[in-house]
Amino acid sequence: MRLTVFVVLLAPIGLAGQGLPVVAKPAIAAPKSWAPARTADGQPDLQGVWTNPTLTPLERPPEFAGKEFLTEQEAADYVKRLLQQVNSDRRDGGTQVDVNRSYNEFWRDRGNALVADRRSSLIVDPPDGKIPQLTPEAQKRVEESRKWMQEHATDGPEGRSLAERCISWTTAGPPMLPGPYNNDTQIVQGPGYVVILNEMIHDARVISLDGGPHADQNIRAWKGDSRGHWDGNTLVVDTTNFIGEYSFRGSDANMHLTERFTRVSPDMIQYEFTVDDPTAFTKPWTARIPFNKTTERVYEYACHEGNYAMTDILAGARAAEKKK
Amino acid sequence: MPKQFPSSLLNAIAAVLFVAAMPAVAQNQPYKAPRTADGKPNLNGIWQAMNTANWDLEGHSAQAGQVVALGATGAEPPGIGVVEGGEIPYLPAAAQKKKENYANRLKLDPEVKCYLPGVPRATYMPYPFQIVQTGKVILISYEYDGAVRTIYMDNPGPAPVDSWMGWSAGHWDGDTLVVDVTGFNDTSWFDRAGDFHSDMLHVVERYTPVSAGVLNYEATIEDPQVFSRPWKISMPLYKHLEKNAQLLEFKCVEFVEELLYGHLRKQPGK
Repeated sequence: MRLTVFVVLLAPIGLAGQGLPVVAKPAIAAPKSWAPARTADGQPDLQGVWTNPTLTPLERPPEFAGKEFLTEQEAADYVKRLLQQVNSDRRDGGTQVDVNRSYNEFWRDRGNALVADRRSSLIVDPPDGKIPQLTPEAQKRVEESRKWMQEHATDGPEGRSLAERCISWTTAGPPMLPGPYNNDTQIVQGPGYVVILNEMIHDARVISLDGGPHADQNIRAWKGDSRGHWDGNTLVVDTTNFIGEYSFRGSDANMHLTERFTRVSPDMIQYEFTVDDPTAFTKPWTARIPFNKTTERVYEYACHEGNYAMTDILAGARAAEKKK
Repeated sequence: MPKQFPSSLLNAIAAVLFVAAMPAVAQNQPYKAPRTADGKPNLNGIWQAMNTANWDLEGHSAQAGQVVALGATGAEPPGIGVVEGGEIPYLPAAAQKKKENYANRLKLDPEVKCYLPGVPRATYMPYPFQIVQTGKVILISYEYDGAVRTIYMDNPGPAPVDSWMGWSAGHWDGDTLVVDVTGFNDTSWFDRAGDFHSDMLHVVERYTPVSAGVLNYEATIEDPQVFSRPWKISMPLYKHLEKNAQLLEFKCVEFVEELLYGHLRKQPGK
């Protein structure tokens, strides 16, 4: 076959909310008696391909401060406005903006709705819908890192984000968040294991359910070390051993992540994660994101193999220096 | 007429012969693999090849490595070869290209750049991989570079797009998992010796449990642009039996940044 998929790397475009339009597809409440089918070896069946785009932002926007849920009218207005703001097919912004919009709607997979209950943030705890304040040490670390990245943005690969380096995407996690595209996740359950495969960027977590301890704490990984167990019909995945540079919204190597997957209907998994990292955040925080069933398959995202952007960014910077 | 043996004696002899023959009979029976809950041969586990096929599929002597500083740690270990018949049947032009690949292997081998390994190379790289088996899909997660592939057991149709790891359709042939892999791009290699293929590559893999903890692995490789006929490799795959065996993370992307982008770094003082 001669078809080839070219991987294009998305330059960091600061889109605040990556969800999409109008009122979320109303989730049909599953009858109370509904329970997931079982796999051949008796696990509640979470298998299939799931997708999590939503327009609901992770953190509550200031305009909705104190308002945990939106009314139908507020939600409709908000969605309309969001879709207008983020629409990269608009041609009304002048040259520079136009260039930034070249990664246009063709690529985007933001969904077109808020979460079904019209909650104004994906964060459900703390109640203000905001990521808790960083500890003073974490604030210092994050600020220093931000400054360093800014000053060394084109000096070498380390000045680019982990995503642009094709090392790790914070939307692929763990924990998983809606991203601008490639939001599909495949779950496979074999005897004693659950695999969570993110299309972004071909990251598979093979999670043992044997109840054993985490890997030695010297063994660090970008995806951490995940162990799972069942709490009734809920899959609970406990992840530690992160590499410190994998900073999820300010987290450090001590992040203890708990993810909960509950299949609440044939077509939806309620996904919830709690970040507990006392050296980074002043208190734990929790977000909840619906994963909807899709008939799509997960395809290969060969990010590093197609990373022409890194070469071009650095070569461009060197060429610019010569001109000076 | 010969004197008739007492039947009781005959029975006794028969019994002795039967008992004596049992182990031999058992050895002639095909190995019956443990089953999954849905009755299929259970291939679940963490597996690894124990050979030097990733250095060179064909038989090869030990030799010095390509990087002087690595000394003995970078030297190439010898190997008896895994190609049926010994040699890969290259077409003439392709044989020339293989030679060039070999000569420039340090520069051209996709493994050096931490690119996805393709199939069958993923199977015999010096890293473990894990098979997670269900009725509809069988997922293989490879430690090297976090490579992963989904084998669809329900006929997924033709490959929708070319990729590094290909498009895998599986079925059972008795106790053998047969995987038909198509939809490859032309960029992966079979080993560090420059053995290569085009985007016409078609691989048929066979995974057969042959004893507790051992799978026999065969791959038939077909590519009319590169080879004069289909050819086959085979090797055992061994199961990791460590109690705490698990796939760890080998994201080599970070480890090759200096190699790939180092020449583009900002130079001090500029």
